[in-house]
Amino acid sequence: MPYTKVLLQDAPEKRVLLLGNEAIARGILEAGVSVVTTYPGTPASEIGDSISEIASQVGLYMEYSVNEMVAVEVAAGAANCGVRALTAMKHVGLNVAADMVITLAYTGVRGGYVIVTADDPECYSSQNEQDNRFYALLANLPCLEPSNAQEAKEMTVYAVEISEKLELPVLLRTTTRVSHTRGPVTYGELRKPNLKGDFARDLKRLVMVPANSRPKHEVLLNQATKAREISEESPFNKVVRSGTEIGIISSSSAYNCAVEAASLLGLEAGVLKLGMTHPLPEKMITEFLKAHDRVVVVEELEPYLEMQIKAIAKDYAPSAVIHGKMNGQYFPKEGELTTRLVATGLSEITNKKLPINFRRIDEKYSGVVKGLPSRPPVLCAGCPHRASFYVIKKVGGERAVYPDDIGCYALGIAPPFGVGDIMICMGASIGIGQGISKVTGRDTIATIGDSTFFHAGIPGLVNAVYNNSRIVVAVLDNLATAMTGHQPHPGTGMTGMQSQTERILIEKVAEGCGVKYVKVVNPFRTTEAAATLKEALQQPGPAVLVFRAPCTLMNAREKKRKGVDIKPSRISEKCTNCMACIRLLGCPAIVVEEGTVRIDENSCSACGLCVSVCPFGAIEGSCQE
Amino acid sequence: MREFNIVLAGVGGQGTLLAAEVIGTAAVKEGLNARVSEIHGMAQRGGAVVSDVRIGDGVFASTILEGQADVLLGFEPLETVRNLRSASEKTLVVMNTQRIPPTELAARNTAYPTVEEVLAKIHVFTSKVIVVEAAELARKAGSRLAQNSVLLGALAAVEGFPVKAESLVEALRELFPKKHVEVNVRAFELGRDSVRKERDRV
Repeated sequence: MPYTKVLLQDAPEKRVLLLGNEAIARGILEAGVSVVTTYPGTPASEIGDSISEIASQVGLYMEYSVNEMVAVEVAAGAANCGVRALTAMKHVGLNVAADMVITLAYTGVRGGYVIVTADDPECYSSQNEQDNRFYALLANLPCLEPSNAQEAKEMTVYAVEISEKLELPVLLRTTTRVSHTRGPVTYGELRKPNLKGDFARDLKRLVMVPANSRPKHEVLLNQATKAREISEESPFNKVVRSGTEIGIISSSSAYNCAVEAASLLGLEAGVLKLGMTHPLPEKMITEFLKAHDRVVVVEELEPYLEMQIKAIAKDYAPSAVIHGKMNGQYFPKEGELTTRLVATGLSEITNKKLPINFRRIDEKYSGVVKGLPSRPPVLCAGCPHRASFYVIKKVGGERAVYPDDIGCYALGIAPPFGVGDIMICMGASIGIGQGISKVTGRDTIATIGDSTFFHAGIPGLVNAVYNNSRIVVAVLDNLATAMTGHQPHPGTGMTGMQSQTERILIEKVAEGCGVKYVKVVNPFRTTEAAATLKEALQQPGPAVLVFRAPCTLMNAREKKRKGVDIKPSRISEKCTNCMACIRLLGCPAIVVEEGTVRIDENSCSACGLCVSVCPFGAIEGSCQE
Repeated sequence: MREFNIVLAGVGGQGTLLAAEVIGTAAVKEGLNARVSEIHGMAQRGGAVVSDVRIGDGVFASTILEGQADVLLGFEPLETVRNLRSASEKTLVVMNTQRIPPTELAARNTAYPTVEEVLAKIHVFTSKVIVVEAAELARKAGSRLAQNSVLLGALAAVEGFPVKAESLVEALRELFPKKHVEVNVRAFELGRDSVRKERDRV
């Protein structure tokens, strides 16, 4: 990552191109945040990854926590000792952490504490597209929404400051398009971290027994009132354009689309841009409503702003005409909001004609892509999960049920394996599998990754032992949190500070949980792995089978570093073009050209799986059987 | 300056996102406003990858509106076709001929579309197409992996592209791993020259 050096530059006023998440990392350095915790998840991962690269150099503490809940706990502990802290996670991570966050709003914090939630409209890499601004309403916490990289940096610093002022955690809510868009960022001064905290016993404030919680709830509501005053004065809430034809209120990346859509239609629009979206600046909004005959609320996902703005209007500007997505149906509640969607909605509201014939483009486009082969994400050539799925499908066939979990291995649902029947959230495969097994009696093989196992799999496993469920838990251990960028986890023996630590072995954890049948196999030894899986399925209670082999990308990098040559597998003249390798494995390195099977030597990682499965022994190469 | 929009379309592992970052970095070096959007696919390799690069004062949104690309920089023929929604008659398509067959083709035992078929599809949207033999030029430069730099060079030679070639090279030198820089600078130059030649011929 050449950018980590750029992030560290002590060069106020310097202007550089940064990813939204890198800008948040820079904000961490400019705010003097001293404890950063995270669990990796798209689109939030680069925040923690950037900090992990530089933490020891800067003198701040960074950790990849075992899950988002623990990440908030660790940071909240530090922040209650007066140290500035930040936790980054993807949107669904906040569900995991919610129990902690909502009551932490009662105790409050002493050092500034920011919780970054990176939402994912359009579900680019997530199981849902929930709108986490509602957590701010639910928990009564201030919420900031940047629309670009520059704001992402500024708001990180601002969030720390208002958190300290209000003694409350502050939510910084991004979306995929904010976190994963690069834009110019102007640097401010760096601020040295201060890791030295002190803990003061204060039972009334910190111990949330009912007698303390009741008055603390009142304190929280008072702080929320103060937060509203801050919101009225916030530099991030302001009228950025004047225009009387129509008023637009917007936030986050929807704001970017709204500004461009208004230009496209040639609208003289007044624009109120909201950066602090909880609590809302009631007075400012009231004034804006009164100054425009009609106001359009442009926002992504839920009508979070619209609901509140309509409530404000009812009390303070009852004659205001407000359009949005609640009943007017001008904008969708689902999916990502684009300039096209905003322009279309604005055009309907204002009767201004769209200058682009989108429908004509759509027609032409659907014509040219008709029958075009798709290119969905696939397991990499040499991915150990491919070998695991081959073994699992071979043994479990159509007979077994396959609850699945969150990670690269979710791709097992695709052909040729079809391993994956139900997948909901982190760690759920083990619990769901128990329910299925109890009521169907079918063989149940739950597949879960190594990092996911530590994150949320262990309670499910304890439950399986306690309630004697007949289930096989196949832990697909590729020795990294691979999908989000190979972050370390408790099973790797490395920390976010990039130092070595005690390695926690999944098989020992399983034994410790009381699982009687625990085995570790190399998935590339397919015969042995299949025999072990068969045996596991014969057990009267829960069984754990760890399929262990490193992620092929890490493996390739390691080989390159050591100067070890990768000798690609090769198809010999014995090949009958029976297509078994393609039918059984779906490896992207095996291609068919004019009816002939060929191995693309640039893609092949020499895992040898195809050598193992070829019925004619026609593939030459090393094989791990 | 009016805005300039580039769609980069390729396959995971081709260095599409790095190329987009180079363009954005170079633009910011020149004091321009820019947005570079990325969608990080579910898997680390092999999926379709798209990045929109937008340069200009009036640029706010991350993505390019349908039909509004000035250049569609295709790292791979099928992915070029898949992103034609961004193209219109004003769009110049710069396409690498190097094919990466999707696994679906092998599974269905169907052939990859021919160059003529791909070009016919592009022509539905625009007649302005430049084809680049990036694999061949990258190999000539010293590494088949340098195709992204060949395509960056090709882009630098496009008329109206608002960022100087020197700024692109400077950004490339900063962003690429040190030991690969020289090969990639050579690849950049070969790409740029090939498009210049093409331009002169036309």
